[in-house]
Amino acid sequence: MRHRSAQRQDAAHDRPVPVAHPPIIALLVVLCAATLIAQAAGYRESIAGTTVQFDMVLVPRGVVTVSGAPATVGPFFVGKTEVTWDMYDVFALGLDAPASRPAGSDGVARPSNPYGAPDYGWGHAGFPVISVTRQAAEAYAKWLSQKTGRVYRLPTEAEWLHMATLAAGPEGLSPDRRDAIGWHRDNASAHSHAVGTKSADRLGLFDLFGNAAEWVLSREGELVTRGGSFRDGPDEIGPGRRAVQDEYWNERDPQLPKSRWWLSDGPFVGFRLVSDVQQ
Amino acid sequence: MSETRIPPVSRRTFINTTAAAAAAMAWPGSVHGFHIWGSDVIRVGVIGCGGRGTGAAGDCLRGAEGVELVALGDLAPDRLAECRAQLDKLGASNAGIAAKIKVTDDKCFTGFDAYQKVINAGVDLVILASPPGYRPTHLAAAVEAGKHVFSEKPVAVDAAGIRSVLATYEKARAKNLGIGVGTQRRHQADYQETIKRIHDGAIGEVLSGQVYWNQGGLWTRDRKPEWTDAEWQIRNWLYFTWLSGDHIVEQHVHNLDVANWVFDGHPVKAVGMGGRQFRTDPKFGHIYDHFAVNYEYANGASLVSMCRQIPGTANRVGEWFIGTKGQSDPSKEIRGSAAWKYVPPARRPNGYVQEHTDLVASIRTGKPYNELKQVAESTLTAIMGREAAYTGQEMTWDGVLNAKQDLTPPIGASAYGPMSVPPVPMPGQTKLERAWNE
Repeated sequence: MRHRSAQRQDAAHDRPVPVAHPPIIALLVVLCAATLIAQAAGYRESIAGTTVQFDMVLVPRGVVTVSGAPATVGPFFVGKTEVTWDMYDVFALGLDAPASRPAGSDGVARPSNPYGAPDYGWGHAGFPVISVTRQAAEAYAKWLSQKTGRVYRLPTEAEWLHMATLAAGPEGLSPDRRDAIGWHRDNASAHSHAVGTKSADRLGLFDLFGNAAEWVLSREGELVTRGGSFRDGPDEIGPGRRAVQDEYWNERDPQLPKSRWWLSDGPFVGFRLVSDVQQ
Repeated sequence: MSETRIPPVSRRTFINTTAAAAAAMAWPGSVHGFHIWGSDVIRVGVIGCGGRGTGAAGDCLRGAEGVELVALGDLAPDRLAECRAQLDKLGASNAGIAAKIKVTDDKCFTGFDAYQKVINAGVDLVILASPPGYRPTHLAAAVEAGKHVFSEKPVAVDAAGIRSVLATYEKARAKNLGIGVGTQRRHQADYQETIKRIHDGAIGEVLSGQVYWNQGGLWTRDRKPEWTDAEWQIRNWLYFTWLSGDHIVEQHVHNLDVANWVFDGHPVKAVGMGGRQFRTDPKFGHIYDHFAVNYEYANGASLVSMCRQIPGTANRVGEWFIGTKGQSDPSKEIRGSAAWKYVPPARRPNGYVQEHTDLVASIRTGKPYNELKQVAESTLTAIMGREAAYTGQEMTWDGVLNAKQDLTPPIGASAYGPMSVPPVPMPGQTKLERAWNE
């Protein structure tokens, strides 16, 4: 089982560790205790038993209009990037489980082995997870919550819209900015790209628009992604882009029943997670 | 999703044979060449009701006009029950499909002779989706009984099986029976249009190619105490060469089939290597987890083939060809002086459905197509690569085709009971001509 131990490290951080976030820290460090800095700016999470880490960014409280009705959301933390294969593999391949304790013995359902290549060979380490069902994204969040002791979940559609509004900024998205912050049909060569290789948005997030479209929890219970993907045009990616899963997203799974975990025709679908400030 | 919409598949655009092209005009306007009991309905039976057999049944009902599913057969009662449950679910979501499902309890069969009972159940077309080791027997029985066939790939696991399938091919031709096979890329417009350009000279003379199916691991089923050795092996059929042919045959045959299509022929020689590096646990039977094979075609063209099933490794599934004037990914593009890209329609047709649409349409013309030889050659191509790796020797096409190699075990092929796990093949020691337990 050499592939398992390769990602392990001996002493892993079980708890979130503060991460440098220069502009905000510079302002607050004089005023606040170190623990408060961590809460205000964001934090770095580690997955115990592995070398995998990821950054969470604070999204302030705000009001957003969803389906014509105003909703107050936040504050909450959100992943600076979309969930990457590095993170997801720990869950999907059971890389955190000692050989003597097979994956699944912790009571969390793990994804089936996919038939074929859900990453399409476009890139794996540092690339966003793609081809996953919303159920798989939620199962990952559940597993991660259990693993870290901090609750992670998909954003609601209102939360995502709030983030997107802040990310776009008051000036909106000019063609140049869309190109600078987003992988879209005209610059992505029809495949996903490593996260964080375009510029950050106004909120300090990467790839919120374009690259992988992101699962959200819709109020109506529909299977919804937001933000658009590398398959959408430069004018399409952005806060307004919304897509609802239809049968074409899983059309070529040749089995019945079709996979609950993998979308045979959803290479444009990924996700990022949020975590409430008050746990 | 509030409702499931299942659109009809266009019969006009994505036809790859002249027989099927004729069919597009012949049906549904003027039907000829198919009248059973005064009816135009084609009655379908499924042999092998696992996930793929059930999926293929659904694809057939979705893609083909004037068909009814009437009989099901599987070795295992639980698999058959699951298949019926899934078909009920499919029917519940689509009234058009529900109307085509006419399976009754007395037309559901289990056990080692279930395939013969399905064939005898008044069907016109059988879908063969059991583990590949049984395929030559099922193909022969279906054609003997005068049935049209949709057969999953691969169609054999050893040299004896290939010879049987080639004989069945000739018999089916003589009887004018249609045989479609599950190499769905042949029914996809993206591959069809790109390879047509290659054949028309878009990349010049094709000198070499590379084909890949590198992915992670696949499923296993934990052994239950009540299972005999044979039942455990059959339920984990991927991991036993006598059942699956090993993953180069079971899975990578798709990409090798594309290579044979591009080169318009089969290779004449192969050297290769492979092994079992990750799959050391007994639950993985005795097959390999990686192969790398170099094939040589009659004109001297060279094909590098790689396949791997090891979790946590780099994925690549696809094909690439290099010619004197350019290169091509046959699923989408030509590069070079005749550069061209396939532009998919907004809704890309599903090859898994299209292959049933095309087959049934061709049966209705009265001159059905027969893809069995082409897939038998692609299967033998894969077997040749496997044997090059297993034995460590250079393999020739004729040498493998004519080899005394029959991997059918005495138990397992026709009964449950105790049996050993065949040895892991050892290059330098394993012989091409061998029995199942050698």
